[in-house]
Amino acid sequence: MNLRLSTGPHYLHRESTQTLMLDVIIALVPTTAAGIYLFGSKAAWVLAVAVASAVICEYIFQKLAKRPVRIMDLSAVVTGLILGLNLPAEAPLWLPAVGSAFAIIIVKELFGGIGHNFLNPALLARGVLLASWPARMSVYFMPTRVLGITSAVPAGPDAVSSATALLRPQGYEVYDLLMGNIPGTIGEVCKIAILIGFLYMLFVGTIKWHIPVIFVGTVALMTWLLGGDPLKAVLSGGLLFGAVFMATDYVTNPMLTIGQIIFAVGCGILVTVIRMTKAYPEGVTYAILLMNIATPLIDKMTSRRVYGTVKKHA
Amino acid sequence: MRLSFKGGIHPLKELHEGKDKSMHKPIKELVPEKVAIQVDMHVGAPSQPIVKKGDQVKVGQVIATAVGNLGIPVHASISGAVTAVTNRQMLGKKASAIIEITSDGQDEWVELHPLGDVETVPADKIIQQVKDAGICGLGGACFPTHVKMSPADDKKIDTIIINGSECETFLTADHQLMLEEPERIVNGTRAIMRAMNVKTGVIAIEDNKMDAVKTMTDAASGREGVSVVVLKTKYPQGSEKNLIKAVTKREVPSGGLPCDCGVAVFNVGTAAAVADAIMEGKPLVKRITTVTGCVKEPSNLKVRIGTSFQDAIDFAGGFTEEPGKIFAGGSMTGIAAPNTDVCISKANNGIVVLNKKDSVVKSPTGCIRCGRCIDACPIMLNPQKLKELCDAGDLAGAKKRYIMECCACGACSYVCPAKLELSASFKEAKDKITARGV
Amino acid sequence: MPEKKTSLRGVFVNGILNENPTFRLVLGVCPTLAATTSATNGLGMGLAATFVLVGSNAVISMLRNLIPDKVRIPAFIVVISTFVTIVQMLIQAFVPALYDALGLFIPLIVVNCIILARAEAFAAKNPVIPSAVDGLGMGLGFTAALLLIGSIREILGSGTIFGNAVFGPSFEPMLLVIMAPGGFIVFGLVLGIINAIVNRASARKGAKA
Repeated sequence: MNLRLSTGPHYLHRESTQTLMLDVIIALVPTTAAGIYLFGSKAAWVLAVAVASAVICEYIFQKLAKRPVRIMDLSAVVTGLILGLNLPAEAPLWLPAVGSAFAIIIVKELFGGIGHNFLNPALLARGVLLASWPARMSVYFMPTRVLGITSAVPAGPDAVSSATALLRPQGYEVYDLLMGNIPGTIGEVCKIAILIGFLYMLFVGTIKWHIPVIFVGTVALMTWLLGGDPLKAVLSGGLLFGAVFMATDYVTNPMLTIGQIIFAVGCGILVTVIRMTKAYPEGVTYAILLMNIATPLIDKMTSRRVYGTVKKHA
Repeated sequence: MRLSFKGGIHPLKELHEGKDKSMHKPIKELVPEKVAIQVDMHVGAPSQPIVKKGDQVKVGQVIATAVGNLGIPVHASISGAVTAVTNRQMLGKKASAIIEITSDGQDEWVELHPLGDVETVPADKIIQQVKDAGICGLGGACFPTHVKMSPADDKKIDTIIINGSECETFLTADHQLMLEEPERIVNGTRAIMRAMNVKTGVIAIEDNKMDAVKTMTDAASGREGVSVVVLKTKYPQGSEKNLIKAVTKREVPSGGLPCDCGVAVFNVGTAAAVADAIMEGKPLVKRITTVTGCVKEPSNLKVRIGTSFQDAIDFAGGFTEEPGKIFAGGSMTGIAAPNTDVCISKANNGIVVLNKKDSVVKSPTGCIRCGRCIDACPIMLNPQKLKELCDAGDLAGAKKRYIMECCACGACSYVCPAKLELSASFKEAKDKITARGV
Repeated sequence: MPEKKTSLRGVFVNGILNENPTFRLVLGVCPTLAATTSATNGLGMGLAATFVLVGSNAVISMLRNLIPDKVRIPAFIVVISTFVTIVQMLIQAFVPALYDALGLFIPLIVVNCIILARAEAFAAKNPVIPSAVDGLGMGLGFTAALLLIGSIREILGSGTIFGNAVFGPSFEPMLLVIMAPGGFIVFGLVLGIINAIVNRASARKGAKA
């Protein structure tokens, strides 16, 4: 009889990196479906190219660097999908390809692979694309489906709207903001779909509520204090998508709950400040990236009292 | 209200903590043909064997005497002839000194010296009787019970907790004991309370054993100072520190013992053994052990100390499929057995057999900083950071972050989606720190 | 850095390869990042720094026995700034487009640590000819590095090389590469690739020996 000797625990939780990532992908399904429904097949192509590029780049890099190939943990799929959802549907297909390659190779693998990137790969890639091809990235398009059924908006190439919902929130009704009948990127427009994904991740325990709720709450509170419309501020732009799917990235937010609260409040303040100063139409990307950078610092500054000890001040 | 502590996990929730197979199986007594009794079962110096090959012994006869302050005697668990006094590989890292006895089939006891009823026996005689009976903590730690019952004069104990939480997976031995013999446990509790002059005795049971809560409440009614509390089903609820926090809201100070916060904790099995020692004069020669997993008839056995795993597994009907791993205890902290010739010690509360498929060790990937381990740690450590420090060899840094407080419960390793061996590396680091005095 | 007696050729090659100031010593990172938005800028900055390096190394070497040790740094700076002023005026007069592109970074050559480092580490201890050769080698090494980074950034960020279009009109350049973060990213990547090559080469050499 050949018995295996090992230390306990002898049974592990069935949750693995792969199942966690799969849960995120499942949570992204409503958003993806809504994006494809609203923007049509162009959106599907953008998403497909983003995902494929991310997975292929990860595979090639890991082969070249002689690291174990870990594309099956699905983290590259999540990165590619989130990046794709952050792009406008009219983006030329090389844009998601380059963005995903940047996210995986430069942001993730060069820093040591999964768990070692200090910035959210999809977010930084979006920032890079935004800085590199502003003409492609900061032009937001009205969903083709809305154009098809609403005669108020002229159809055809003239339908391109260069203004985000954010810049003129008074121009859209709450219903349209919720359903996604507004210009924006593939993933950010349909708030209902994002909320379904959020509830799914809460239900299966992928994430905790703190970061998204406090992030969005801070934005609402700040906007209200500064005299804006908190509801429309929350439903505009990429705030919900960023708060639910990007600020909650495990790798780049603090470990302790108290740290996560600081992180979320910081994100909320930065988003409002960036939006108010209007240097960029959309502040979520930069707000989260800045707080990602602050994460190691927050982790260092926060601690909790260990059982049986007296808490020391850091 | 369900008492609990912060942190912790609910292991194998989808399998009802793995307890279904052996739950409510009546206790069956197993008297083996041959036993190999270790003399180093308890914490403290190994006992000194006083028998030699060829001696005839009866059940309950002292075969090794206590050595040192923490020492307790060891008793023969079957009657028959001593066939070997030697060293053999048991569950521990090193070979243990053992006394092997082959049964004469009589199962004849030595003359017993009961003290009488627990409510009337002189309190000062109880502790000596417990020591002479060779009783140590049956929950798994095997700390000599008489030492726990006699804390230093400056420590005032005001509460005794009888631990019936059985938070470990797969085990149902304590549960079945509480169902079948609640009076023994309550009697033992009263004996300990009287010996230590404590007015409050709390029997703590997890809420996945509500039938045991009922039997224990019935048995405790009318007994002075004994009450039953219900705990939330959560691992490691039965770990001393967390049990004390859940029941009394107190914390054992860092580096201290439960007596430093006025509490002493005893396992239900220990309490039952104390009752036997006082009321019947019987030393500790048998205990209840769950045999489960890939065996034909998962069961709760009352086994003699020194019964081999093979005998216990055969008694439970044998294997259902080829075993891949066998461990003593639950799946969280159980110790893997090298073969089935190892024997049941006073600490063995269970034998679990896994098949080949379940015993595959998953290879670790990279930490994704998900924070699962932080939520799971019952001691409020930061396992993620500690693992980084341990991997970097920074023992001093790990010590500064309280690695020595780690209770080795394995909750962090259990929840880790990257399958990192957190708990194991902390144990290694702690051993190094102790050895080198960092 | 122990200074061994080596041939002039050795001193020259050393500056370009083994101790390439940008890639091996990682000195002068500020101009490397700031002045490489195009191949022309990189080349211009490199050559300007080379001129200053050769001149200052030679002069400092000449004066090395006259300068009191305590005031050597101010003295070196005076010599260096003289040459920087000369090069600035020359560029302004003959290549005004480059002067406009590099702007402040020309006078900042004064504080380029490569120049002070070579003055301190080499020119102050060696005769005139080797010092001038060292300056030339280091300067050309610096120029090569800046030209490489500048070319990469210009090709990716503007789609041109020395101002000539590389790709067809449909190419959309990646603006980020010629912005500040692009400088860091490209510099980091090139540095990493060169380190990887050198490590592999030395590992192979070690395996043979």
